[in-house]
Formats: sequence, structure tokens, C-alpha cells
Amino acid sequence: MSDQTVAALRQLLTATLNLGARGQALQADTELLGNLPELDSMAVMSIAAALEERFDIEIDDDDISARTFATLGSLAALVERKIPA
Amino acid sequence: MNAAQAPQPAAFFLPGRVGPRFCLYHAPAAGHPVRGAFLYIHPFAEEMNCARRTAARQARRLAADGYGVLQIDLGGCGDSHGEFAEATWQGWRDDVLDGAAWLSDHCSPNVNLWGLRMGALLALDCCTRLPRAPEQMLLWQPVINGRRFLNQFLRIALASKLTGEFAQAYTDSAAMRVALIKGDMLEIGGYELSGGLAGGIDAADAALLPAPLGSVQWLEISADGVEPGEAAQRLFGAWRAAGVSLDVHLVTAPPFWATHGHEVSDALLDASVSALLEPA
Repeated sequence: MSDQTVAALRQLLTATLNLGARGQALQADTELLGNLPELDSMAVMSIAAALEERFDIEIDDDDISARTFATLGSLAALVERKIPA
Repeated sequence: MNAAQAPQPAAFFLPGRVGPRFCLYHAPAAGHPVRGAFLYIHPFAEEMNCARRTAARQARRLAADGYGVLQIDLGGCGDSHGEFAEATWQGWRDDVLDGAAWLSDHCSPNVNLWGLRMGALLALDCCTRLPRAPEQMLLWQPVINGRRFLNQFLRIALASKLTGEFAQAYTDSAAMRVALIKGDMLEIGGYELSGGLAGGIDAADAALLPAPLGSVQWLEISADGVEPGEAAQRLFGAWRAAGVSLDVHLVTAPPFWATHGHEVSDALLDASVSALLEPA
């Protein structure tokens, strides 16, 4: 995935979860689920909603998975898959 | 008088046509003319609780600036009578109309609407149904499309399979929608969602509603001050083409409706008051 998408996701996660300075430390391989205490079901929902609004994509049920939310990189990969070429 | 010195709001039950509705009324500050009234329409489910402190501070600010502000708990929500499971979109419309009528009788015939998130969508739904069109609409981070919003709400149940927070019987949103249509009640994030309410939310779409007649102050609130997305931009285009007086304001503040425990953002309160008081 591109650096641009990773940067956009870093910004989106920082804003949506209100991570503040901690958000700046997020890298593509940073684990999300099980690692970020903010990541409860409301937060997962907010992130999915923010991805839909920001990138104008549709999130499916299958995307709400441990695999997608494993790392920042896996979320970025999802976004890149869904944006029309 | 500044907002910190404002008196406590008056709490009472408004005898709504559907049932008693818990209300808090912030009377306009004495000593200058009453500018008008605002009815606050709260957001959906847990967002209402998360946003409570911010809404209360804004209500006091508006009252200090000469507006009478009524905060009404919609049917089945907060301290109002009725169960959330029995709430309906039409019932909520009736609550808004009743709240507006009370303000017209007790404060000023110039009744304006202030809505947050799904409350903003309900405000847009109701503004052309009021006996007198609101001169001003204050919309905080509006939900534009009820179907998309309902999808997001249903996702809380799906997300819970990742976080293990809530016991759930459904594994996909299509199955959940079928269940709702059949008349099943779904428990999501601690709230019992009925098919009736889900249907009403699903059908609500700002793009299909008549354009608001008064001036609209749209506040887009995010931690990084980002512009509204595609769907909002399309709506703005349609409204402007229809002659709506629309001002869009970007406010940098955390999404206080989404989690508990936020500090109240002065930037948001200041932006709202300036937007309303600025000459058109």
C-alpha cells in the first residue's frame, strides 16, 4: 500500500479515536485490535463510518473482521482495494 | 450575564400527544430582547448520552445570548416516558412539533431548530412541517442518509464479535435487516431496536426532503477539521441551486458524541454562536 494511504489512515485513526500525540507513532505494522484500548465496538463502527465518508467507499460485513482491523496497514490495504481505479 | 452564571434550567414533563416528554428549558437571559427560541434535537442511542454535557453548555450559551432553549428527550429516550423499543420516527416527529409548539407559546413564535447527528436529520425532516418555518437551522455534524446511518448502527453488533462486548445472535447485517422487517427486536449496543424505528430511520434521507426555508448553519466537526464528504457536497449543491441560504463551518473538535468523557469544546460553542449571530 502507498505511503499516502498510510498517512491518510494515520490521520483518520488519530482523529476518530482522539489519540492525540500517540497517533503520530502509528505505522503500517502497528497492531490495532487488542493493542489500542480505545478500540471497542463503537470505535470499530466509527472507523468504518469514517472510512466510508472520507474515501466514499462502501464497507461490507466481511470487512468488519479481525483481519481487516489487525494493523493500520491492513486497514490501508482495504481502502486501496475499494477505491475505484 | 455570562453562561457560567446562568440559572439552572427548568425541568418538566411536556404532555406530548404520544406521551409525557422530559424537557429542560433554559430561559433567555433577562435584560435584553428575546432573539427567539431554539429546540434541541438530540442524537441517536448512546450518542445522546455522550453529547449531554456539550449540549447543556451550548444551551446555556444560547440562553445567555437571548434565546430560549428547550431540550426535549424524544420518546423512549433519556427520561421521557415510553420504551426505546416502542419509539417510532413518526412519534419523534410529533415530539419535535410538540416541543416547538411549547416554545412558541412560552418563549417566542420565532422557533428555530438545533440538531446533532441524527437529530439534525430529524430537524431537516421536521422544519417544513412546523406551522412557521424556522428562520435558522443549527446543524451539528448532520447525518444525511438514514440508511447509511442504520448500517453503521447495525455494525456495532458485528463489531462486537471482534471486541467481545455484547452477546449477539446475528452475524451479518442482511440477516439483521430481514429480522427487523419480520418484526423481531434486535439488541444492539444495549439498545432494543424495533423494525418500525429501523424502517423510519432507513427512509430518512436529507437529499429527498424538501429544502429548508430558513438559513442553515452547518457545522462539520472533526478532530482534524476536514471538509464534509461527497454526499454532503452533493446536498450542498442541490440546496444552493434551490436558493437555500447555507453556511458551512469547519470546526476542529473531537467527535464528542462518539465516546464518553470528552471536554466540552469552546471552539464549537463559539463557532455556533458566531454563526447564528452574524448578519446574513
